[in-house]
Amino acid sequence: MTDPQQKQPGDALEAGLIEKAKQGDAQAFQALYDKHKRRVYSLCLRMTSNTAEAEDLTQEAFLQLYRKIGTFRGESAFSTWLHRLSVNVVLMHLRKKSLPVVSLEETTQVGEEDTPKKDFGAEDLALAGSIDRLQLQKAVDDLPPGYRTIFVLHDVEGYEHNEIATIVGCSIGNSKSQLHKARMKLRDLLRMKRSEKAQKS
Amino acid sequence: MTCVELQESLIENDSGGTAAQRAHLRDCPHCAGLVADLLVIACAAGELRAAHEPGPHVWNSIETSLRREGIIKPFARRSLLPSLTGSWSWTGWALPAAAVVLITIGILVRPHAPPPGVVTGGVTSQPASDAALEASVAGLNDNDLLAEVAEQAPALQAQYTENLRNVNDYIRDAKYSLDANPNDEDAHRALMDAYQEKAMLFEMALDRSLP
Amino acid sequence: MGGRLIDVGVCSAVLAVTMTSGIAAAETHKELRFNVAPKAALSVNNPYGSVSIKPTTGNVVVVNAVLSSDKVEVDNNFAGNRVDLQSHLLAGADAQSGRVDYEILVPPDTSLALHSSSGTLRAERIHGDVTLEGAAAMVELRDISGAHVHVKTLNGPVTLTNVQSGYVEVDSLSGNVTLNGVNGPVVQVISTSGGINYLGDFGDHGEYRLTSHSGNIEAIVPDSTSADVSARSVRGEVHDDIPLQPKQHTSFVVKEGSAFWGTMGRAAVSSTVVLRSFNGKIHLRKRSAK
Repeated sequence: MTDPQQKQPGDALEAGLIEKAKQGDAQAFQALYDKHKRRVYSLCLRMTSNTAEAEDLTQEAFLQLYRKIGTFRGESAFSTWLHRLSVNVVLMHLRKKSLPVVSLEETTQVGEEDTPKKDFGAEDLALAGSIDRLQLQKAVDDLPPGYRTIFVLHDVEGYEHNEIATIVGCSIGNSKSQLHKARMKLRDLLRMKRSEKAQKS
Repeated sequence: MTCVELQESLIENDSGGTAAQRAHLRDCPHCAGLVADLLVIACAAGELRAAHEPGPHVWNSIETSLRREGIIKPFARRSLLPSLTGSWSWTGWALPAAAVVLITIGILVRPHAPPPGVVTGGVTSQPASDAALEASVAGLNDNDLLAEVAEQAPALQAQYTENLRNVNDYIRDAKYSLDANPNDEDAHRALMDAYQEKAMLFEMALDRSLP
Repeated sequence: MGGRLIDVGVCSAVLAVTMTSGIAAAETHKELRFNVAPKAALSVNNPYGSVSIKPTTGNVVVVNAVLSSDKVEVDNNFAGNRVDLQSHLLAGADAQSGRVDYEILVPPDTSLALHSSSGTLRAERIHGDVTLEGAAAMVELRDISGAHVHVKTLNGPVTLTNVQSGYVEVDSLSGNVTLNGVNGPVVQVISTSGGINYLGDFGDHGEYRLTSHSGNIEAIVPDSTSADVSARSVRGEVHDDIPLQPKQHTSFVVKEGSAFWGTMGRAAVSSTVVLRSFNGKIHLRKRSAK
């Protein structure tokens, strides 16, 4: 998320919409919403795994943004601003629900339970080339909330570890460690799913 | 490097690209499989971005709140109908521009860019200053669209070509009307509609959910 | 995105499907059930084949899928009161072998998002929001109330019947759009070259806007209709068979044969109707009494 210094071709067009929105133009607000709604909603959905909550949070994120739009000066990309704000809205929500946004353990060591078992004799369940969106989505939904937050922010949304550390209030090492564990957990979930499927057929 | 050490090292270097990691991965198919799987997971994660759309009522609620709070100004009430007040200004272009911005969504969801230099017979019947150019400003042009369709769904190419030609005619006519009557809100709206149609065409062509 | 593991090109290579094609088996049936809470959401992404949605009692989503071969699978996900179904095409699948036909029962308050390329999308007796998107898919919606209805098609025909109090938006490139008994606060159709037919009374104090670049627009309304109607075609003909009270102040020049603007019925309780075309004909006619 750190490279949007590079202006995209649509930025000038978006800047026009932002100016119109600052004047209270309904269609400009809607056009901005239409452009960004999928990304914001998907972020909220991935982090909460709940459609109703995700829609409420999407609404809240856009409302907060539009209330502050008069202060937007364009130094940063509008989308960066919006997505950061959306992440904060979701994290605030998770904290209110007392769900961990990140695991408390700070170690960067791989725990014993995370060490993959040596199963050379097992059927080859390599994932390469065969994950589809729904399978992955389901697996992400099954992640513990702490792992899910880091995975969504890094691998789905593209935030860097230093940014994640700032956003969620953890160390960079913890972010890296959580991400690794999240991916390992996802691998297990996906392989388990594949194994079940293979047994059924 | 042992298997455990390799896996610990992935926390810092997740692509397995350091010399020590490479050496281990060369000799250990188990860890090589693990790293490949983690790469696949990380790559596939991008598919979850912008994968879902909120229900239409979400915007409705946002708009209601914005009006109640006075953030949307009363004079700017959204209407499907042409307003009889207000005059045309440069900012009016922001609205058709919004439709072009929508086209950029296609870039985000497009699985990969079409091969460079692929030309499938452009259908832009208007001069370069028209819609095709504006689409290319957003990073795409009509030939990109047709190349993508040719690659992903060749059976639909004729439909897309014809629709593209029609929608470009629509944009051309709407622009002509607007140029002739710059204060005509009807013409303004028509141009918006035309761009919206073109945006939809791009979205459909580039949406991976369709074959 | 410097933090990404590897670049997109490598991703594509890693993700390339390498399955070899097999011999397609005969069609199979699959049934799925999901116990949902009120106001659930259902999304179906079915490249080839139809999707039919009907209401059921109880908080359950029942999916009956007919898969035409073993070159397609039905993936599902249920999380957060949202059911996602995806027809997963395997290597070598085409329009025939990749076809899945769904018949799905849902609680009436379920929100729907249906995508197909070529199969019919059909929903009836629902009052959750409905979003339908297809390329050549035929779209049929019937008996919908109080919902946001969004339809997008490339060239598939769209028929909406008895959609009450709806926020209806239809975008069609070249498919014909038929609205029969459709009313609500917002009813909007935009088409590039498809025709638009409206049969109904423009009720509900709504804003109706029917626009086509080159398709014809026909609105057939009963005597009891109260509406402020303006019609304008740049190059096509414009006719009205209904006596209208002409408007004194208009935002465009009303030229005989190419535009009209007037009020029918009781203006005080009327809806507003805008009919626009560049090349198509526009015809406002009275529904004959039976």
